[in-house]
Amino acid sequence: MIAQLFKKKKELHFERSYPASVDAVWRAWTDADRLRAWWGPPKTMVAACEIDLRVGGRIYIVTEASEEMGKYQGTRWPMEGTFARIDELRRLTYDARSWTEGEEATTTIHHTNDLILAADGDKTVVTLHVLITEIGPKAKMAAFGMRWGYKSQLDALEKHLAG
Amino acid sequence: MFSALGEPSRLQIVELLGPRPYAVGEIAETLSIRQPQVSKHLKVLGESGIVRVEPQARRRLYYLQAEAFDQIARWVESFEHLWEVRLDSLGDYLRTNDTEEGQP
Repeated sequence: MIAQLFKKKKELHFERSYPASVDAVWRAWTDADRLRAWWGPPKTMVAACEIDLRVGGRIYIVTEASEEMGKYQGTRWPMEGTFARIDELRRLTYDARSWTEGEEATTTIHHTNDLILAADGDKTVVTLHVLITEIGPKAKMAAFGMRWGYKSQLDALEKHLAG
Repeated sequence: MFSALGEPSRLQIVELLGPRPYAVGEIAETLSIRQPQVSKHLKVLGESGIVRVEPQARRRLYYLQAEAFDQIARWVESFEHLWEVRLDSLGDYLRTNDTEEGQP
């Protein structure tokens, strides 16, 4: 039932055009040191980044809450995936799961990521499909619980995330 | 409290109530959970706005609140938002960092 509800919106689609060469975009996505530089959202840092660029190879990125996130500081969100398809400079597909460290059994999200690069003059068009295939029960319940925002729940959630 | 929200039988109840409303006794029977436990779970789900109760004849029927499920969509949106932020960040990175370096 919940899985059905997800069917409506579990597929995400992004398209961007960047003033950079396909080479540069490909490197930014496949070179661990470069990826580190842009991957983490604000107030986080990339604590680990491994990219074994071959079919069957591993992509492993750990995002960690930095000091600016206050009480969440140190919370780690790993993502581990396997490359399913690599077309040099054109397409990259990996199946991955993401979770909150220490809560793997209940927070894990499974997702498939398909990245396509295409040259457009001196720009590069990046198309990304993210398909969320499975969500752990705690992630689901967090989705429910957050809206009603009962203070006790949120406090507990904060404590939980922090600790 | 939060770990209680991740309680598997509570999720089972939510899933059971999807297609139609149930009375406490029916839920207990269907899921093989003791009725007092079911009542406890329903209380928490009710307080969180996930389930509402409507008296019908001599029974009290428990319904899923449709709005609760908007939250799932919203949760997915937060994942979507993360990617928007990340792709913006990639743009900034490409504009500032990778012009002269790294030509193979």
